Parts: sequence; structure tokens; C-alpha cells
Amino acid sequence: MLNEREDRENIELIQRMASRDSKALETFYDRYNRLVFSLVLKIIRVPEDAEDIVVDVFWQVWQQSLRYDASRGKPLAWLFTIARTRAIDSLRSRSRQPISTPVNPESEERRLSVKDTLENPGILADTRDAVRKALNQLPEQQRIPLELAYFEGMTHTEIAEALNQPLGTMKDRIRTGMLHLKEQLKAYL
Amino acid sequence: MKHLELTAELQESASIYAAGAMPEDERKRYVRHLEEDGCDVCRSEVLAFQSAIQSLALNLPEQDPSPTVKMRLMAQAELSASRRGLESARPRGTPWLAWLIATASTTALIAILVVNSNLRQSVNSLTSRVAELESQMLGQRTRLAALTSTQFRVIDLAGQGTTPGAAARVFWNVREKQWLVYVSDLPPVSSDRSYQLWFVPKDGAPVSALVFNTGSDGSMMAEIPVPANLGELKATAVTTEQAGGAPTPHLPFALLGSL
Repeated sequence: MLNEREDRENIELIQRMASRDSKALETFYDRYNRLVFSLVLKIIRVPEDAEDIVVDVFWQVWQQSLRYDASRGKPLAWLFTIARTRAIDSLRSRSRQPISTPVNPESEERRLSVKDTLENPGILADTRDAVRKALNQLPEQQRIPLELAYFEGMTHTEIAEALNQPLGTMKDRIRTGMLHLKEQLKAYL
Repeated sequence: MKHLELTAELQESASIYAAGAMPEDERKRYVRHLEEDGCDVCRSEVLAFQSAIQSLALNLPEQDPSPTVKMRLMAQAELSASRRGLESARPRGTPWLAWLIATASTTALIAILVVNSNLRQSVNSLTSRVAELESQMLGQRTRLAALTSTQFRVIDLAGQGTTPGAAARVFWNVREKQWLVYVSDLPPVSSDRSYQLWFVPKDGAPVSALVFNTGSDGSMMAEIPVPANLGELKATAVTTEQAGGAPTPHLPFALLGSL
């Protein structure tokens, strides 16, 4: 999602973290703390708990920097995976139940805002525009299952039950939605 | 088992895994397939989908965590770095226990030296204080010797009128023409008043010796010269006057002593 220069810089930061360079951790944190916090907060919804998780996320990055393998994913993807995993684990540890009532695809709460602007200096404007455009073009039948999976940690079975759809249909919608995003954003991957 | 080409089913699995929608048992099997089987077909598809799905996160409105988040994180990192510094200070091949004992011994020695230095400073301070007290005691012995010598006359003053409990003693150094006056139990007067000590000669009017006030405990001590042309004294007295004293005494007496 980022240009190659920023990817290289991030890899270098992770390598420096592996050498216990705390300045590298600080730089990495300054770059992505807002993105990580926003993602975690979206999932957890409690700011204080989200902040605790943000500390844990970057601490995990620091601890695992030595084992980071660029061939397994770009730094930001790695960071987001850690953040989402920790947030979802925290959500599940609270025994929060997945949504059991049908979700109205037209719900405003589920609609991604197209007016929100990204101000992270680490992400180029054209990337942000591409992201926004790709998501706008994503049909709700595909976007909602992806959001339920990514932000709520729901399995395809749970999503199918929540949306009152056959499992096979739901799996297909997830695949189609992901293909759409991958196609629209391939220039930025 | 490694896959050789991408199928719709494999693509579906990769997309569901990347979206985080795979049930736990299924996810564990899939992870084993990616890592242990080393399937590049599935791994490549997963990486592409992971980047795609994270567009959801990138489109969220950004919010700032509180500054304490960074403080906590960096504090943890600094503590971790300092612990590693302690670990790296241990020479290679040195057993932990031996190194710990050596470090503890060195630390203890340093502590002893510091404490010893502090004790020396305390001794020096106490020595100075002792010298000061000895000087004060010498001065008091000298005074006591002087007071008890035959060259001194003692005059006792008794409380009068409204101050019957007051008292005063004058040590008169005849040779040096000095009075050493001690007053006790004479209540202090208000700010618009003063006590006044008088030389009362046999001939002539009383002469002012001292204008004073007592402390809160009713005491006062003063050394005053005795005028040379005073003549023979018959008494000494203390009166209460306006603040700053008066040219002549006003009755009643507060204290009176006859020679």
C-alpha cells in the first residue's frame, strides 16, 4: 500500500529495532500510532483499552523485530496483522458475542464514510484516493461481510448466520470482495 | 502438500484467511499448510489479499492516542535496553553466580567508602561544635569567677506594688564601674510603655541607667556603665514610664533595691 521507498525505510527501522535501537521504535511509532490506534479503537471501542493494546502492539513489534521476514509480508501489513490480532483477541477475551441479529445492509453505521480524510504523512495521497475509491466501488453485499470479519472477528459461519445467508454464498462474497480490492489496489500493493 | 496452481477454491481459502474469517480449527490447519508445507501458491495469494483487506483500516478516520501511550512504550524499551546492558556487562564465560558475587562485593566496597566519607564529615562538624561550646563555657566560667570575686557588690531589687513577684539582681563591678543587671518575672509592658532603671544617689536627682522591656518570660539581662560623677548611691529602682523613657521617674516603683 505504500511506495517502495517507505517500505525500505520501514524494513530498515525494523532491522534497527532488532539491534535494540529505541530511536527506531520511536520513529516507527510516530509514523503509525494513529493508524494502529484507529484500527484497534474501531474493534475495541474503548479508548483506554485500545491504548493498552497499542502499547502491546508496538512492544510486540519491538520484541519480534529480530524474527521479521520481509518475504512474508510488508512491514505495514505485518503491523496491521499484529494490531488486528491483538484487538480481536482482546475482544474475544471479553466474551463479546458476535452479532446474532440480521444486519441491515443499509445501516448508516455500517457504511464507510467516503468523506473521511487520511492525514498520515506515511501514506501518499494517491494511495489514499485509491483506497477510498476501491471501497466506494465495493458493493455492500461484499463490503459488509468483509467489515464483520475484519473489524468484528466474525468467522464466515457467524457472518452467514448474522446476515441470514447460506455459508457458501457468504464465502463467495468474501472472495469476490477481496478480489475486487486486490484488483483495484494492485498498483499500490 | 504444496499446490501447483491457483484454483477458485484455493483463492477462496486464501481470501477467507486474509479477511480473518476462518474458524480457529480451520485456521490452524491453514497456517500449517502455509508454513510447514511451504506452499508458495497459497502464500502469495494470502499476502496479496492481506494488503487488500487492510485498505479497510487505512480508510478509518484517524485518531490520536494519548501521549502516555508513547511514554509507556519508550519507558519499556529503555528498561529493556538497560537490562540488556547489565547482561552484556557480564564477561563471556563468566558463571552468573561468580559474576554476581564479584559485582555485589564491589558495590559493597563502594558503599563502605561512601559511608566512611560521610562519617568523617560528621566527625569534623562535631569537632567544630565542641570547640565552640568549650569557648562559650570558658566565657561563662570567666564571668562566674568575676561575679563571685570580692570586687563585685550585689544589689537585690524586690518587686513592688502591682509586680510583687518580680525580682532583679545587680552585680556591681566597682573597679570597672559596670553594672550587670538580671531581671526576672517582670511582665513585659505594652508598646507604648517602657521600664526604666534608675541610679538613685544620696544627693541629687535619680539618673536614668537604662530604658528596657522584658521578654515574654519576664526576664532581661544587660551590662551598663556607671557614670563616674554619680557620687554615692543609696538605691536603685525600676519604674514604668512612657515609651522611650522619661527624664524623671514616676511612681509607683516596679522594683526597688537599697544599697
